[in-house]
Amino acid sequence: MQAPQHTRQPVRIVICPNCSLSLRGAAIFFGGLCLFCFTLAGLLAIKGMWPVLPFAGLEMLLVGWALHASLARRFRSEIITLTDSDVSVESRDRARSRLTVFQRHWAQVKLRRPASRLHPSRLTIESHGRQCELGSFLTDEERFGLALRLQRLIGRVNESPSLALRPK
Amino acid sequence: MAETTHAHAEHDDHDHKPHGWRRWVFATNHKDIGTMYLVFSCIMFFTGGLFAMTIRAELFKPGLQIVDAGVFNSLTTMHGLVMIFGAIMPAWVGLANWMIPIQIGAPDMALPRLNNLSFWILPFAFVLLLSSWLVPGSAPAGGWTMYPPLTLQLGASFPMLIFAIHMMGISSILGAINVVVTIMNLRAPGMTLMRMPLFVWTWLITAFLLIAVMPVLAGAVTMMLTDHFFGTSFFNAAGGGDPVMFQHIFWFFGHPEVYIMILPGFGVISEIIPAFSRKPLFGYEAMVYATASIAFLSFIVWAHHMFTVGLPLSALLFFMFATMLIAVPTGVKVFNWTATMWRGSLSFEPPMLFSLAFLFLFTIGGFSGLMLALVPADFQYQDTYFVVAHFHYVLVSGSAFAIMAAVYYWLPKWVGRMYDMRLATWHFWLSAIFFNVLFFPQHFLGLAGMPRRIPDYAVQFADWNMVSSIGGFVFGLSQLLFPYIIWKCVRSGKRVEGTRAWEGARGLEWELPSPAPYHSWTTPPTEAMIARGAEH
Repeated sequence: MQAPQHTRQPVRIVICPNCSLSLRGAAIFFGGLCLFCFTLAGLLAIKGMWPVLPFAGLEMLLVGWALHASLARRFRSEIITLTDSDVSVESRDRARSRLTVFQRHWAQVKLRRPASRLHPSRLTIESHGRQCELGSFLTDEERFGLALRLQRLIGRVNESPSLALRPK
Repeated sequence: MAETTHAHAEHDDHDHKPHGWRRWVFATNHKDIGTMYLVFSCIMFFTGGLFAMTIRAELFKPGLQIVDAGVFNSLTTMHGLVMIFGAIMPAWVGLANWMIPIQIGAPDMALPRLNNLSFWILPFAFVLLLSSWLVPGSAPAGGWTMYPPLTLQLGASFPMLIFAIHMMGISSILGAINVVVTIMNLRAPGMTLMRMPLFVWTWLITAFLLIAVMPVLAGAVTMMLTDHFFGTSFFNAAGGGDPVMFQHIFWFFGHPEVYIMILPGFGVISEIIPAFSRKPLFGYEAMVYATASIAFLSFIVWAHHMFTVGLPLSALLFFMFATMLIAVPTGVKVFNWTATMWRGSLSFEPPMLFSLAFLFLFTIGGFSGLMLALVPADFQYQDTYFVVAHFHYVLVSGSAFAIMAAVYYWLPKWVGRMYDMRLATWHFWLSAIFFNVLFFPQHFLGLAGMPRRIPDYAVQFADWNMVSSIGGFVFGLSQLLFPYIIWKCVRSGKRVEGTRAWEGARGLEWELPSPAPYHSWTTPPTEAMIARGAEH
């Protein structure tokens, strides 16, 4: 166990997904696609080929879901702040913000492998029976990298490595 | 101190990956899925090729020697379906999976599990389709276009065909949605639309086409299914339906489908020609707009496939002129590729050779397409071997050669090794020469009046059929070199030094090490990297 250091500037890590599509852009894109596809399907339906319409509708639902799932990323962010004494995690999404604070000395970082390859790994900070999941929107590889970094910064249970010695 | 880590979080280079069968069955990595698509496409290419060789063996001389007329019809039908839906389209989706995330600086596709699903639907679809050879009545024999009423008279293979087409369509739609969402939402910071490589642009437009037309195909085959099993009369004239309506609806899907198979090829060629001319692409923006124009025009030309069904004169004129209009944006592309090479420092490695063959042969296919667009001429050419020659010039050179060019161009990046250049050059020359021996005489046969899809023919067509078959055998056998060259490269190719396999190559993929790491762009590319790749 290392001796406590002087109070230093906190380390702040902000994790947020990269999104190149704006909400407005997505709306215009999806609206245009719907207009085009339903116009085509509608014209065919008028000619008696109505079975094209439900397929077009199903497809647009799928496109909408895919865009929604991909765009939901843009509202998410996690801010991890490390001070000499605390580790705080602020999780934000579209509707709410949640702050979880752990004592750095007793906190530990855990990366759990999935039970099945179909599921992603899970990265958590845990202490005193509480846990907070991090980086669920990252890829497995990115999550692994973040876990290594946090393990270096936070240390194991009953360890508080100096923030002054943190890796660049 | 504040440190920001985007989704591409910084970390050490851990190239760990799953092993064994789980790596492939549960694959979510875009490179693994891309590889599976390409391997699947290769298997289908040789399956469809086997059907084609049997067709050419039967047509080697007049009379019935090898197969009966029914099997011959099944062979032509299955050759078309397997090559289009099993070989060409999956190859493009495979290349998209491999290259698009790398080229736009994304860590993976936007929806990796959907990506896994869209691939794994395909093998089941083709097992279903190919197993129709074993059922009473044998495989579908009504042509890949599935026109009623002929296709409605198929035996037990009919529902298998319809279900397989639905599965292929679902796979294509899922793939297209993934490509669109990835390109729209996962571009690296600084990678604006007008900085994207042309392969990405052409795939974006292709994905739009797929999304627009796949419901039409699904609707068409569903209507056939209900006509067959549930007593509806969409295409049954006796019940008030219209069989010609199927042709309208099928070709409304079918003509954009042609561009779905060709536009990504335009993108590949637009990457390769500048690399081996050591010059930026001439007219990048014009190329983007030309691609979009071709895609738009593809929706308003479908009836040129059915000039002889009895359309009104005004419709004949409209579709004739609209078809000719496609020559304008296509001409812009051909001009720009030629201008890119003008005064360039050209070298002729296999990717460039295949690209040049694409340029020459696709243009020949385009010219015969213009001939077919002329209504009075088309009345003579309709359903003759001239049409067969035309669409093979377009699709074999426009798609298959472009896919081979793409594989020869990016293979060193994928595996970190260079292939046997001498063998690849042999592969090119054998392909290019015997492609022409195979298909060019079919123009003469068509002009002389030989109908397509016949197992036997009049003796005056014997000589050119024999030449065509010899070309077909050599062309087909020479394709065996392709997987051998790849296998040899993966096993024992010379290691590629540095990130660039080709001196003139540009783009984000060439900023990554060779072979490309299992997880690429885990830290986003820098502005300088993007700018280097986007020097149009």
